Amino acid sequence: MYKRSHAWSFLAPAGLLLLVFSIIPAFAALFLSFTKYDVINPVEWVGLANYKALMSNSLFWQAMSNTVYYWILVTPALVVLPVFLAVLVNRGLAGVKVFRLIYYFPTLVSVVVTAFLWSWMFQSDGVLNYILSLLGAEPLKWLTNKHMVLPSLALVTVWQGLGYYMLFYLSGLQSVPEDLYEAADLDGAGFWRKQMVITFPMLRPVIFFVAVVSTMGAFKEFTLMMNMTKGGPLNASTTVVYLVFDEAFTKLHMGGASAMSFVLFLAIMLLTVINKRYLDRE
Amino acid sequence: MMADQALGAGANHSSGMKRWNKRKVISNTFSYALMILIALVMILPFLWTLSTSLKGQNEAIYTMPPRFIPEQWTLGNYTTVWNSLPIPVYFWNSIILSFFGVALPLILASLAAFPLARMEFKGKQFVFLLIMATMMIPAEVTMIPIYLILNKINLLGTLTGVIVPGAVSAYGIFLMRQGMLTVPKEIEESAVIDGAGVWRIWLNIMMPMVKPTLATLGILSFIGAWNNFLWPFLVLDDSSKYPLTVGLYKLKGTFVSNTRLVAAGSMITLIPIAIVFISFQKYFIKGVNAGAVKG
Repeated sequence: MYKRSHAWSFLAPAGLLLLVFSIIPAFAALFLSFTKYDVINPVEWVGLANYKALMSNSLFWQAMSNTVYYWILVTPALVVLPVFLAVLVNRGLAGVKVFRLIYYFPTLVSVVVTAFLWSWMFQSDGVLNYILSLLGAEPLKWLTNKHMVLPSLALVTVWQGLGYYMLFYLSGLQSVPEDLYEAADLDGAGFWRKQMVITFPMLRPVIFFVAVVSTMGAFKEFTLMMNMTKGGPLNASTTVVYLVFDEAFTKLHMGGASAMSFVLFLAIMLLTVINKRYLDRE
Repeated sequence: MMADQALGAGANHSSGMKRWNKRKVISNTFSYALMILIALVMILPFLWTLSTSLKGQNEAIYTMPPRFIPEQWTLGNYTTVWNSLPIPVYFWNSIILSFFGVALPLILASLAAFPLARMEFKGKQFVFLLIMATMMIPAEVTMIPIYLILNKINLLGTLTGVIVPGAVSAYGIFLMRQGMLTVPKEIEESAVIDGAGVWRIWLNIMMPMVKPTLATLGILSFIGAWNNFLWPFLVLDDSSKYPLTVGLYKLKGTFVSNTRLVAAGSMITLIPIAIVFISFQKYFIKGVNAGAVKG
């Protein structure tokens, strides 16, 4: 009932924009990664030199391992915790909608503002250390200790993302037929058994979605680092994208920065394929 | 809930029902305690910032224990920020960026998603994979070439230059396609029998059916556009074009040591988004709740 020309005319506006502002720039960036370019002087072809330089660039490898570490801290937490949050606010308790709004609100806040809010929380004599002291624990150097800085930043990211992913799980949960739970109740299944047998399998597509989206987010994070730590201390929070930004716009190494971003791109692709293999089975 | 209780009573007689209710009370109390605790964690940074922004210049911010109620209440930090920065101009720029940052992705994504969800044509799989592939390209990879393209077409330094590269999102197309896949075939077929053309089917059949997805995408786009920092930061050089995020970043540079003023500036940028959110949430929650079964 549809003609082929229909399909293409619907696709054209978005397609053209994607072509000009995504696909062509991606190839242009690939081209740049084989060149030396500092905006002022003409482009100079250098072949694989940028990639070779990356292999022996210890800062790049540190940024890579920082990024992977940050991802390991952030993504599993953002895949699992929002499920429980969604289950919690999916019960028909009075006032539950207000809680949903509160949990979702941090998502709306600009990362620039979030960075301000949390740098005050992380102060050596700030709120978090006071809470620790109430629990009888030693104060922590949240952002100034090189072992603490990425877990601290991950904490902020998880705080901000919980409500966002909760909503996806919530709409997933609400499409689970209620009689499945009723049947499980009749069989005498407890809370955990019901989640394991019904909730998790039914949420599988959403879990895949959340895993992919939060992985990409974690691998691309940089606004938080730029506003809170400037990549420090001792490059402990320098992520790949932070390094790319610094190389490209502070040092004007456009070619080298493009090469870095391509290695990052390949890493994200690889993880998405792995995610798909393990999580997106019908 | 009523049905659950009736079920419990029927199965276990009165003593069973009593035990069952007791379990329900314990589990509800536990749920509320947990929800309140999480809510506190979520709002604590906001409360602390609000408190800081209301503290007088001579009052210590960091004390042990932290003082959430200011000793010297003042709105002076707010007036200082308001007078030293063109906040209304930043607001207006954020509103313009957000308006187009919502309208364009909604229209373009629902157009492109329609054939991908509902039509069979040669090359469909390839086009879909290509769009999904662009989703994986980090914005930072394409940042430099887009910057050069904008320079070429004289859009650098303009709000249009901020809006156009983000006008279509592969993610939006993906989301709309998922929504349109769930529309029953019969509705579409009966529209064809009634003689509706493709554009009518898109506008009058598809769009109303995917309203919840549109609402979701609209809200996500709004949040993205309102909070966008990197791109306006890179493209705009004239402070009369800054949105709030970039303005706030500059505020930090201007009042580098005055935490109270930065806190007041942060609260000023939070107020509109809180208002938009609260007035929008009914529709939003309705969309998310569609199809929910509650006792």
